[in-house]
Amino acid sequence: MGYVAVKGGTQAIEASIERLKFERLKGQEVLDVEAIKSGMRGLIDQVMSEASLYDVGLAAIAIKQAEGSAEEAVFLLRAFRSTLPRKHVTRVADSATAEVERRISASFKDVPGGQILGASTDYTQRLIDFGLLSETKADALNFLSNYRSEDSTSTDLGALPKVVDYLREEGLLVLFEDDDQEPDDVTKMNLEFPTSRSTRLQMLTRGQTGAVISLGYSALRTYGAAHPTVGELRIANIPLYIHHPLFEACDEGEDYYIGDIKVTEVESFITTEQKNQLGKTDIQFSIGYGVAFGQNETKAIAMSILDKALQMKDSPLPVSNEEFVLYSIDTVESTGFISHLKLPHYVTFQSKLDSARKKV
Amino acid sequence: MNRRKRTEILIRGDRALSEAFRQEIEALYEVTTIEEAENGLAMVKMRETAQKSLFYLGEVLITEVKVQVGGKMGIGIIQGDEPEWAYDLAVIDAAYNANLIQTGKWNQQLLDEARKIETAKKQKHAQILKTKVNFDVMDT
Repeated sequence: MGYVAVKGGTQAIEASIERLKFERLKGQEVLDVEAIKSGMRGLIDQVMSEASLYDVGLAAIAIKQAEGSAEEAVFLLRAFRSTLPRKHVTRVADSATAEVERRISASFKDVPGGQILGASTDYTQRLIDFGLLSETKADALNFLSNYRSEDSTSTDLGALPKVVDYLREEGLLVLFEDDDQEPDDVTKMNLEFPTSRSTRLQMLTRGQTGAVISLGYSALRTYGAAHPTVGELRIANIPLYIHHPLFEACDEGEDYYIGDIKVTEVESFITTEQKNQLGKTDIQFSIGYGVAFGQNETKAIAMSILDKALQMKDSPLPVSNEEFVLYSIDTVESTGFISHLKLPHYVTFQSKLDSARKKV
Repeated sequence: MNRRKRTEILIRGDRALSEAFRQEIEALYEVTTIEEAENGLAMVKMRETAQKSLFYLGEVLITEVKVQVGGKMGIGIIQGDEPEWAYDLAVIDAAYNANLIQTGKWNQQLLDEARKIETAKKQKHAQILKTKVNFDVMDT
C-alpha cells in the first residue's frame, strides 16, 4: 500500500478556531486580565513555574487565552519565550538574604527567627465559602483598610538564618564549599544522560506540577521507604541584580537591580543508615533540594524528594532513573507527545488494519 | 550612592520619582535613544543550598532601553513589560554616568525615598510576623 497525499480542512480549521473563541465568550462575560493577576495567584504561580518564565502579566494573559487550562497556558508562555532574546544572566540569586513571607520547619520546633506561617491554605478547613458568591469590591476594600496597620518591627525578615546551617554547625551534615562551576542550560542543549546536577535541578523546577508531585509521592510511598523531613520551607522574595552589560568585571555596587521574584524553597532532611567499621549502624543526614517560582509548596517538596532519588544511581526505584523522570515531567515534552496522538495516523493505522485483515 | 542602591530605590519606590528625574534631564539636555525599549529575558542563576552548586532557576521577562545624554550612555533595565519606566531609568543612568550637576541634588530625594521604602517594609514585616507561632508546651 502506497502513501496517499491529501489536503484540505483549512476552512474547517478556521471554523474550529472561531468555535473556540465562541466557547470562551458565550457566557457574555469578559475576564479582566487585572482580575486574573489579582485573584488567581495559585494558577499564575503554577503556570510561571512550569513555563520557566516569571512574569505575572504574561501568565495572566496566557491563562485568559487558554480558558484556565494550565497545560495550554504553559505552552503559550514557552512559545512566547522562544521569540525573545536572552539579554542577561543574573548575579547568583541568594535565598539566604531574601525577604521571607512564610517559613516553617517540620524538623525543629524552635528555629532561630521562629516558625512564620504567612499566607497558607494549610490551616483552613477546606469548606467552600459560599459567601464569596456575593463578595463585592467594597467588601474587599473594607477588608484591606482594616487589615493594613501602622505597626512596625525591628525584625528583618531578610535576615533569617537557614535551618540547614543549624545542622551544619552541629557537624551533622556534610559541609560543602561553594561550587562555582558554570551550570548547564537545558534551554540551549539536548538532554544527555547521565545528566549534571544543574541539568536535573533546572528540569525539576520547570517540571509539570502534577507529574513532579506524583513521582515524588511514588518514591515516598509506593516504591520506597524514603521519608524525608522538611527541614525548612520558605516563601521568599529574592532580589535580582544584573552586572553592567559592558563591564562584567565591575564590582557589585555597579549592578542594576531589576526587581524581585517570589520563590518556594525547600530543604528536606533524608536519613540513611550505614554500617561503620565496627559493624554498628550509623545514621547520616543528607539534603534533598527543591525550589519553584511562586508559592508552589507541594511541588517544591516533591522536587526535594526527586533530587535525592536521582542521586541514588544504584537504586532500583523507578524515580532514580533520570531518563524516566526528566523526560516524563516536562510539560511541553509530555503533553506535546501525548497530543500528537490526535494527529492523523491514517496510513500507519490502515497498514495495521491490512495486516489484521490478511490473517482473518 | 552606587548604582545598585540607586536602582533599588528607583524601582522599589514611587514610580513618580524616576519620572520627575527624567523630565528634569529632558528639559535641559538632549537625550538620544540608542536602543528603543525592547523586551527580553534574564536567566536567573541560583545557588542551591544542599551542595552549594549553581543552576538555572528560569527566566524573567525584562524591558531594556539604552540612551545617551551628555556624551555618556545610560542603560535602563527593569523586570516586566515597562517601556516608559525603563526609559526613565536609562536617562537617569546616563545622567549619573555623565556626572551631570542635577544628580548631586537627587541624592537627598533618593535617601528620603529609601526611608519611605524602609518604613513600608517594616510595616509589611510586622503584619507577616503576626503569623509567627508562639508554642506553649503542654503539661503531660
